[in-house]
Amino acid sequence: MIELYAITDERAPRLPPIAPLSAVASHGLAAVYAPADAELQVSPEALWQHERVVEALMEDRDLLPVRFGTRLEDEAAAARSLEERHQEFAGALARVRGAVEVSVRVLGETPRPQPSESLSGAEYLRARARSESAAEAVSTAIHEPLSSRARACAKLSAPDPAELLRAAYLVDRDELSAFVACVEELDEANPGLSVLCTGPWPPYSFSAP
Amino acid sequence: MSPSTIAERDVALIDLIDRLLGGGVVIAGDITLAAADVDLVYVSLRALISSVATAEEKNVLPRLGSAL
Amino acid sequence: MRDKFLHAPRNLDPFAAEQPRLDDALSRRVNADPEKLERGLAQLVLTVVELLRQLMERQALRRIDGGTLSEDEVERLGRTFMELDKRMEQLRTEFGLTEEDLNLNLGPLGNLL
Repeated sequence: MIELYAITDERAPRLPPIAPLSAVASHGLAAVYAPADAELQVSPEALWQHERVVEALMEDRDLLPVRFGTRLEDEAAAARSLEERHQEFAGALARVRGAVEVSVRVLGETPRPQPSESLSGAEYLRARARSESAAEAVSTAIHEPLSSRARACAKLSAPDPAELLRAAYLVDRDELSAFVACVEELDEANPGLSVLCTGPWPPYSFSAP
Repeated sequence: MSPSTIAERDVALIDLIDRLLGGGVVIAGDITLAAADVDLVYVSLRALISSVATAEEKNVLPRLGSAL
Repeated sequence: MRDKFLHAPRNLDPFAAEQPRLDDALSRRVNADPEKLERGLAQLVLTVVELLRQLMERQALRRIDGGTLSEDEVERLGRTFMELDKRMEQLRTEFGLTEEDLNLNLGPLGNLL
């Protein structure tokens, strides 16, 4: 069994020594993998370990990260997969070339109302309307200025209703510090909101065709 | 470990999980993760539901409103 | 992982609020179990129901904004939606689903709900 980490260009720098990595090439692309143990470990430590490998690769090459836990029989299976979908992968790789992913999460102070006996029907609906418009306001105040600085963006879902925005932005490597400066400005300018920004991540949210 | 370190670790882990388990190229292999069959149904549902959502945005679903 | 922070707010704790659910999310996303199919089916059905509930709620909010509803009608609508909200929560609990489970990522369109 092999475990896949990323899809890169066939012509790429030497693989980093962070893990026993190998690459198999087809149609100008390469799949980077390592031998896999029988049992897949899913723990925060295993996820971070996987992430460290992909980040080491990301340092000196463009790549499409592969979903965690993707295991194939052998190198030949990986080569077949590249062969079958090389156009799709090449297109996706071109879209993320020279860019990294940045995560932004925004918390607000207008939680969604919960049903309760003490609330009248009209009060409940008005509270719902207020929380809807708070989310829209965040979209205008934070998401729009950030997406105008990004090559692409994707909204992700957040389980906590107080989290008004959870989004991923695809940002050019040279634009990263300007993007973070913009996040800082927006956080300053919106005292009722709390903004968290992490990255740079491999372009996980922008790897789908 | 100080409380702030725990928070830092946990907060970054949320972003990590969103990405490693929810993003990245999906290659059908030995699908150890996720309920693969259900995921596939979701993919086709997506197309259907996004068109419903678009219709709603454009206000072309009056019957939903009058059903209230 | 400290180095993943590009910009952190003064108080980070609220951003870790969903942590108790993470372990659960990790274990649920791995390994099939016999109840998986039933749960998956419930998830699909409830997602569609939740979509309809939210579409109707948005329509209702729009009508209130439009001022075409009487106080009495607004009150009745509000009670109905509150009741629906409660029922959905009961169903979610029954099948071990979170609110996040009833959402679909529509790629470039963002999330369904």
